[in-house]
Amino acid sequence: MKRKHIVAALLAASMVAGGSPVAAQTADQKLAELDQRITRLEDMNAIERLQRTYGYFVDKSQWVQLSELFTDDATLEIGGKGLFLGKKRVLEYMQKAFGPDGTKRNSLANHMQFQPIPDISADGKTGWIRARAFVMSGGGWGLPLYENQYRKENGVWKISRLTGPFTMYTSWDGWGKWAMNNTWPDKFDPPPDLPPSFVYLTYPAYYIIPYHYPNPVTGKPFPILKSDIGAHAGVPGSPVQQQWSTTARLADGTQPIGEPPKE
Amino acid sequence: MSARQILKAALLLGLLAPVATPALAQGDVRSRVAAYKHRVQLLEDQDAIENLQATFGYYFDKGLWNQAAGLFSARGTFEYGQRGVYIGPARIQQAMLLFGQQGLGKGRLNNHMMLQPIVVVAPNGQTATGRWQGMIMLSEPGQNGKWGVGLYENEYVKEGGVWKLSKLHFYLTAMTDYDLGFAKYAIQMEGPSALFPPDRPPTEVYRAFPNAYLPAFSYDHPVTGKSLKALPMDGDDIVGRPSRGMEEKREESSAAKGLRQ
Repeated sequence: MKRKHIVAALLAASMVAGGSPVAAQTADQKLAELDQRITRLEDMNAIERLQRTYGYFVDKSQWVQLSELFTDDATLEIGGKGLFLGKKRVLEYMQKAFGPDGTKRNSLANHMQFQPIPDISADGKTGWIRARAFVMSGGGWGLPLYENQYRKENGVWKISRLTGPFTMYTSWDGWGKWAMNNTWPDKFDPPPDLPPSFVYLTYPAYYIIPYHYPNPVTGKPFPILKSDIGAHAGVPGSPVQQQWSTTARLADGTQPIGEPPKE
Repeated sequence: MSARQILKAALLLGLLAPVATPALAQGDVRSRVAAYKHRVQLLEDQDAIENLQATFGYYFDKGLWNQAAGLFSARGTFEYGQRGVYIGPARIQQAMLLFGQQGLGKGRLNNHMMLQPIVVVAPNGQTATGRWQGMIMLSEPGQNGKWGVGLYENEYVKEGGVWKLSKLHFYLTAMTDYDLGFAKYAIQMEGPSALFPPDRPPTEVYRAFPNAYLPAFSYDHPVTGKSLKALPMDGDDIVGRPSRGMEEKREESSAAKGLRQ
C-alpha cells in the first residue's frame, strides 16, 4: 500500500515537471511532502536499528559502545533499579553492575530484541518505540518491555530515554517454580540518581507501562487505569489478589520486593 | 550523511527553481525524483532481504531443505557453527541432511528464530549484509530438548532483480539442555561431518559457551560511525586465541553478588 502511494506520488511529480511555474510550485510541494514521508520511514528504520544494536551490545557486555547510543542527557531505568541520569551514568551503571567491558567466559546475557512499534513525531525530531526483549542468560530467563524515546541530533538518532520495566525474572527452574518479583535500588551497586519513577512487581504480579501510541484501530489513546495496572496474582477479589495489589502499590520502598513468591 | 546533504542542496535548488529557466527547473525535479526513488529502493531492498531471511528460517524449521537451499545464489555458502563451509545449493542441501531428513522426522523440533535484523544495503543496491539474532529450540526422539542461541552474519546479492543468500554464517554461541540450563550444563558444537565433508573448513575456529565469542559486526556503530570489528573479548587458550582489549583485574559484578544474597 505504502509503496503504491509513493509510486503514485513519484508519477504525479514527474508529470507536472514540465508545466508552468505555478505547476512547478505544486510539484515542489509534492516533492517536499514525499521527502517527508520517505524520511519518516527511514527514521523509524533508524530507531529500530538503534534498539536492536543496544541489544547486541548488552549480549556481549560492550558498555562503552552501548553508552555511545545515548544522548548526553539520556535517562535509563531498568526493572525496579531506579533512574540513572546522563550518558556517563549509563556507562557507570553497566560497568559496575555487570562487570567491565568485553565478551567474557562463563557469561551469557542475550537480550533478544523484537516486536517493535516505532513512531516519529510530526516534526521528525523525536521517536518512540514500544518493544520487548527475551533474555536468555546463565542465571535464567527475563522478559523486559521497553517504552523508549529517541532524539535526532544533527541528523543522527540516539536513545534519549530507556525505560525497561520487566514482566518477569526467573531462574532455570522456570517460572512455574520460582520468580524474582523485581530488582530495586539498594540491592546492588551502583545506587541510582533517582528512585524508581514507578514501583511495581513483576510476575506473578504485573504492571502495564502506558502505551506511547493510541489504539491503531480506534485511533484513541487510552489511559492505563489504576485497576488495570496490576498485581493480579489471583482471581480478582481473592485474598491473594488483594494482598498482591496492596504490595504492588506501596511507593515508599519498604515493601518486600525480591523475595520469591511462595505458594 | 552525504546523501542527506545532497538532498538538502536539491531542496534549496527547488526553492530557487521558479526564478530559473523552465529547463533548469525540470532537471531539478528529475534529480530530486531520482534521489527519492533511490531511497525508496533501499527501503524496499531491506524489506525484501528481511523477508528472504525470515523465509529461510521458516523453511529450515520444518526440514524443507530443498526450498531452503534454493534461496542461495549459485556460489552461495552455508556455514553452521563449526561444521565447515558448503558451497552452492546442491552441497548446501546435502549439508542440511545432517540436521535430519527432508521434511523433518517424527518427534523433531528444529526451530531457528530469525530476530533483530540489521540489514545494510550497499549504495549500489546490488549487495547487502545482515546481522541477526538466532534463538533455537531443538528436539529429537530419545533426547531431551535443547535451547540454543547464536548470531548470523550473512551476505546477500541481487541477481536479475531478486535477492538471494550469497553467504549464511550462523555462529552458534551457546547451547544447553532444556531442563538443566546454562547454569549447570553446556553443549558444544558439532565439527565437520565425515559423511558429507564440507567444501572448506570452518572460517573461524571458536568454542561455544562457557567460552566467549563475539562475531565481528558487519555494520558500523550507528551513532559514532566507528568500526565494530575488534571489540573486547576474552581469549581461548585451547583455540589459541589471545584476549583482546580486556581488563586484567576482574571482580565479580555487583548484580551477580547482590542478587545472590
